Amino acid sequence: MNLIDIKSVYSVAKKEFMDHIRNKWIVALIIIFIVMTISASYLAGGKTGSSEIFGGMEETVVTLVSISTILIPLISIMLGYATISAEAESGALSIVLSYPVKRSEVLMGKFLGLGMVIVASVLSGFGAGGIVIASTAGMSQSGAYLTFIGLTIILGLLYLSLSICFSSVCKKRTTSIGAGILIFFWSMIYGMIIFGILLATGVSYTDLFTGNATYPDWMWASLTFSPMDMNQMSVMFAFGIKQAFGFPVEPPEYMNLNLLVFIQLIWIAVPMLLAYHFFNKRDI
Amino acid sequence: MESENLKDKIIITKNLTKKFGDFVAVDSLNLKIERGEIFGFLGPNGAGKTTTIKMLLGLIFPTSGKIIIDGVEAEKNFKEVKRKIGYVPEKVEFYSNLSPLQTLNFFCELKDVEKSVAEDLLKEVGLHDVINKKVGTFSKGMTQLLGIAQAMIGNPSIYILDEPMGGLDARWVKIVREKIKGMNANGATVVFSSHILSEVQNLCHKVAIINKGRLIAEDTVEKLSRHFNIKPRLEIYIEGLNGVVPEDVLKIEGVEEAEAEGNKLSVICSADARATVLRVLEGRGMKVNDFRTVEPSLEEAFVKLISEED
Repeated sequence: MNLIDIKSVYSVAKKEFMDHIRNKWIVALIIIFIVMTISASYLAGGKTGSSEIFGGMEETVVTLVSISTILIPLISIMLGYATISAEAESGALSIVLSYPVKRSEVLMGKFLGLGMVIVASVLSGFGAGGIVIASTAGMSQSGAYLTFIGLTIILGLLYLSLSICFSSVCKKRTTSIGAGILIFFWSMIYGMIIFGILLATGVSYTDLFTGNATYPDWMWASLTFSPMDMNQMSVMFAFGIKQAFGFPVEPPEYMNLNLLVFIQLIWIAVPMLLAYHFFNKRDI
Repeated sequence: MESENLKDKIIITKNLTKKFGDFVAVDSLNLKIERGEIFGFLGPNGAGKTTTIKMLLGLIFPTSGKIIIDGVEAEKNFKEVKRKIGYVPEKVEFYSNLSPLQTLNFFCELKDVEKSVAEDLLKEVGLHDVINKKVGTFSKGMTQLLGIAQAMIGNPSIYILDEPMGGLDARWVKIVREKIKGMNANGATVVFSSHILSEVQNLCHKVAIINKGRLIAEDTVEKLSRHFNIKPRLEIYIEGLNGVVPEDVLKIEGVEEAEAEGNKLSVICSADARATVLRVLEGRGMKVNDFRTVEPSLEEAFVKLISEED
C-alpha cells in the first residue's frame, strides 16, 4: 500500500501555488519586499547619494536581514494561518477531502505549494537585490549571499510550518488570525522577556546600550527559542559579521551556522508533525 | 433473504453515532439506501443531517457505528469509496483566485480523471461563458453550479448533496432539481438533504426523516403520507365566522375534526361528507364565500412527527 501518493501531493501543491501567487495581499507584500531589498542593496556600494559616509556590505546585510526577518515571516503567516481553519469553515476543504486523497497528502501539498510561494518571494526580492549588489559592490561575497538566500527561505518555511500547525488546531478563521499575530510577535515578546531577565540578573542597562555588555552563555542558548534571532545570527555567521549597527556580536564557540540551521529544521519539522496529528483527527 | 436484500443497498449505516462532547448529534442511525434511487434526507435545522453526510464521506469521524458503501466498509477503504462519490457540501466555496476551469482541472487530477471533461462539465452546468473568470467573482448560484459540476467529475455512481437548494432563488432551484433528475436518469443514486419538504416531495423515491439525531421514519413519500394518516382538508371561508366552530358541523357523519381561524373553517372529513358540511352551513344561514380542498402534504406529516417527538 502506498503511504503517500506523490501525484496528489503535487496537484494540491500546484493548486495552492496558483491560488496564492495571485492573492493581491501576497503580491503587495512581495512588491514591498523587492523595493526594500533594492534600496538596501544600493548601500552595498558604499554610497548614499554622493557622500561615502555610510554603506558597505556589512551594513547592507544587516539592513537586509532586518527587512527579511519582518516581511518574510509576515508573508508566511499570511499564507498559512487560514489554510486549514478557514477552509474547513468555508467548506472548500470538505470538497477536497471528499476526493480520494489522504489528509497527509493534502497537508504536504499545502506546505510545498505555499512553500514555493515563499521561495518565489525570496528569490524575486533577493534576486533583484543581488543584481544591485553585484553591480555596485562586486561579486566577492556571492557565496555568503547565496547562503543568506537559503537561510531566508528556511526562515519562511519555519513560519509557514508554525502557522499551518496553529491553523490545524484553530476552529475558525478569527481565532487563527489571533494565532498568526502571536506567532508573528513571538520573537519580539520572547526578546523582551530575555531582555528583562538580563537586566534582573545584573547586566547593566548602560552596558547593554553602549555595547559593552558581555552576555552570559544561557542568553545565546536561549536564542534557539526565537526564530527571528536564530535567522539573524545565522546570517551574521554566513557573512562573518562581528558587529551589527555598532554593537559587537560575539557568540560562544559551540554556536555555529550548521547547528543553527539544524535547529531551524527541527522548528520546521516538529510543527508540521503536530499539524498532521491535529489535522488527521479533526472533524471537518 | 436478508443478505440478498442487502445487495441492492448502496449505502448502509449501522448504529451510526456521533457525539460532540455531551451533545449527541447523531444517535444510532440505521439507514438503508437503495441503488438507483433518489433519497431525501429530511429534518429541521440542527437535526444531524450534515453530520451524518459528513460521516459518510469521512470528513467527520463517527463515535461508533459502521458505514458500508457499495459493499465495502467505508472507514477502512475511504480512498476506494470516495472514487465513486460526488459530493456538494452545504456551503460551497472554492479557491477565489482560480478560474472555474483551473478549479475543475485540479479536481480531475485528484480523481485521476482526464482533464478534457472539465470544459464539457462547465458547458453542462451553463458556466462556459465565465470559464476564465476568477471563482471569487461568482454569485452564490454560480458557485453552487460549479459545485455540482465538480461533483459530476468521473460520473460517480453516488451523489451526496447537502442542502443543494438552500438559499438559492427559484430559477436556480429549478436548475438544481433538473440536474438531480439528470444524475438519477444516468443511473446514479442521489442522496440529498433538505429542511424544506416541498423540495423533497416531488423529487424523491424515498425519504428518511430525522430529528435530534434519531431516525423517525424512512419510507416512500406516499407511504409516509398514508402512514401518518393525513386526510384531505376542506377549507371554507365564511363571512362573520370569527373563529367559532359551528356546533352542527362536528355532528355530521364523516367529520373528524374542525378548526376555526378567523373566517376560515378547516374541516377534516371523508370525501362524501364534504357536500353535507357545506349544506349544513348554508342551512344555518351562514354565507360561504369560498371553499377548497387541500391535499395532504409531507409538510404536515413532518410537522406532526416533529411535534410528536417534542
